[in-house]
Amino acid sequence: TLVSCVCVCVCVCSSAVLSMASVLQKLITPLSSGPLEPPRSKVTVVGVGQVGMACAVSVLLRELADELALVDVIEDKLKGEMMDLQHGSLFLKTPKIVSGKDYSVTANSRIVVVTAGVRQQEGESRLNLVQRNVNIFKHIIPQIVRYSPNCILIVVSNPVDVLTYVTWKLSGLPKHRVIGSGTNLDSARFRYLMAERLGIHPSSFNGWILGEHGDSSVPVWSGTNVAGVSLQKLNPDIGKDTDRENWKETHKKVVDSAYEVIRLKGYTNWAIGLSVADLTESLMKNLNRVHPVSTMVKGMYGISDEVYLSLPCVLNSAGVGSVVNMSLTSDEVSQLKKSADMLWHIQKDLKDL
Amino acid sequence: MASTKEKLIAHVSKEGPAGPTNKVTVVGVGMVGMAAAVSILLKDLTDELALVDVMEDKLKGEAMDLQHGSLFLKTHKIVADKDYSVTANSKVVVVTAGARQQEGESRLNLVQRNVNIFKFIIPNIIKYSPNCILLVVSNPVDILTYVAWKLSGLPRNRVIGSGTNLDSARFRYLMGEKLGIHPSSCHGWVIGEHGDSSVPVWSGVNVAGVSLQGLNPDMGTDKDKEDWKSVHKMVVDSAYEVIKLKGYTSWAIGMSVADLCESILKNLRKCHPVSTLVKGMHGVNEEVFLSVPCILGNSGLTDVVHMTLKSDEVKQLVKSAETLWGVQKELTL
Repeated sequence: TLVSCVCVCVCVCSSAVLSMASVLQKLITPLSSGPLEPPRSKVTVVGVGQVGMACAVSVLLRELADELALVDVIEDKLKGEMMDLQHGSLFLKTPKIVSGKDYSVTANSRIVVVTAGVRQQEGESRLNLVQRNVNIFKHIIPQIVRYSPNCILIVVSNPVDVLTYVTWKLSGLPKHRVIGSGTNLDSARFRYLMAERLGIHPSSFNGWILGEHGDSSVPVWSGTNVAGVSLQKLNPDIGKDTDRENWKETHKKVVDSAYEVIRLKGYTNWAIGLSVADLTESLMKNLNRVHPVSTMVKGMYGISDEVYLSLPCVLNSAGVGSVVNMSLTSDEVSQLKKSADMLWHIQKDLKDL
Repeated sequence: MASTKEKLIAHVSKEGPAGPTNKVTVVGVGMVGMAAAVSILLKDLTDELALVDVMEDKLKGEAMDLQHGSLFLKTHKIVADKDYSVTANSKVVVVTAGARQQEGESRLNLVQRNVNIFKFIIPNIIKYSPNCILLVVSNPVDILTYVAWKLSGLPRNRVIGSGTNLDSARFRYLMGEKLGIHPSSCHGWVIGEHGDSSVPVWSGVNVAGVSLQGLNPDMGTDKDKEDWKSVHKMVVDSAYEVIKLKGYTSWAIGMSVADLCESILKNLRKCHPVSTLVKGMHGVNEEVFLSVPCILGNSGLTDVVHMTLKSDEVKQLVKSAETLWGVQKELTL
């Protein structure tokens, strides 16, 4: 690599009989010596498919990391992606971009984003992907933790709630350091669609989708508001089948979104990439912002199994600092419980965790 | 019975909605087009983004995927259609449409395929944005910028080729790696033809104004012990290398396009190596486009910086011009 050229120039010149100082030596006088400082805000992305690269590019363009590492098993693709990003270095503020099949390149990461695994096929539900991805994770997770024992893991691969549980088990990390991207994206889509209907920016529309990422996600209608004005108070039928304005349709569109985009372009990547960068920002900058992400919910809302579901979590540099206790209707609670049961039903049969 | 929206929000403005102030259109939603679109969005450069392509499903899917990220962006309107009416009133139109280089294929081989595509695209763009600035990215970029200029009828300041902006970025990255310095502090200009025959201007290579060639007079020659010439060779080989490894290049070109758009949309008058009409400069007599340092602002490419080139550098530019003209004169426009 060219980084090693710096060291070679210095060594060759100090031992050469004809001491022809290199351009580097003539140009630059080093002042501080000693080992290089380790990175302070390193991000690793595991998997350089469309989702992984969208996450990587979003993290780079948001200037969140001082080092980015990419890992995958397809070596050519991995090297090509790394080079393509490196060639954009002039336009970025991330001075070191590395990659390798070997996890040693990921050492000292603060945040590791796991996107590896096979993707949903057209029409395939997320739950069908499970065992395929569990087997991949058995190889990945222990290696990540070996090289970055203090990292925070963000799991993106689907089915995300199950795989976040799997990751937690395989990593041995405390539960607050293992996060699933969960319904962060569903909520972003929800806020976009609701805001479009109202003619305002998504960030000014507040609404939370919780629970299971995907078909059984729960829109918390009681919390939907603009400037603190509750939409449900203005329209008590909101979210119900009796609602003349059919706001429930908006949640349905959120659930169908992924399938729709997959049908049209083969996969989704940009929105999930942006949402992961958003989570990364809160974690990296210790912001204590609240995000709907997948966390271990045993003991909440009457759930007695070790499952991961999305709830509003306060994210900071330690990971999930705390969870906001949402006031949910009994119907919403029973939907969460039902999701929990379904997830546990799958999880209990997974082998070798 | 007032709707939820009516109960929530009272419309008070008597004016209708204002149009976009710095709209960008990206033509072609392949890997390069989408990388440019995402880079532009993440740099908050525009208040409206339009996407155009012929593949309708892919186009709609890409637009939806970007829209779903709206919460995290500051570009309120993202539209897409096969019909060019969605591109109306664009300030900058980025053209990435066309066939891409295959592994080992040179850029010049792509020409006629892409000329035919441009004959459809360019007039449609101009129809809806007669005052836009065209930024051509499709390869071979120098020839296609010429083609776009001819087909558009726009004055030469409004038709810009991405040219050696990317080559120079790659050069500065590699130079930075060699010196242990950030690329933005490493100055070096690669000009001329984007691709195999680009010209690294060694006399201009510097850090903090200190000329590297001044420190190493052999720089760029075959007898240079430090083999800086290979840095330029790596730049030329870069695209082929990345294509061989991942099938195409996207991220770097996408970011470099956003960098150019920023200078244009914010009227920065920054100097970039981009492809412009060079007839009459450096001994070039043909109507060809080559990259030289140009000043970019909101009326496009307004000025060219005249570099002091060595005779062999001038010779290379003249030779590129002849090659390009040789291809251009055979084109049916």
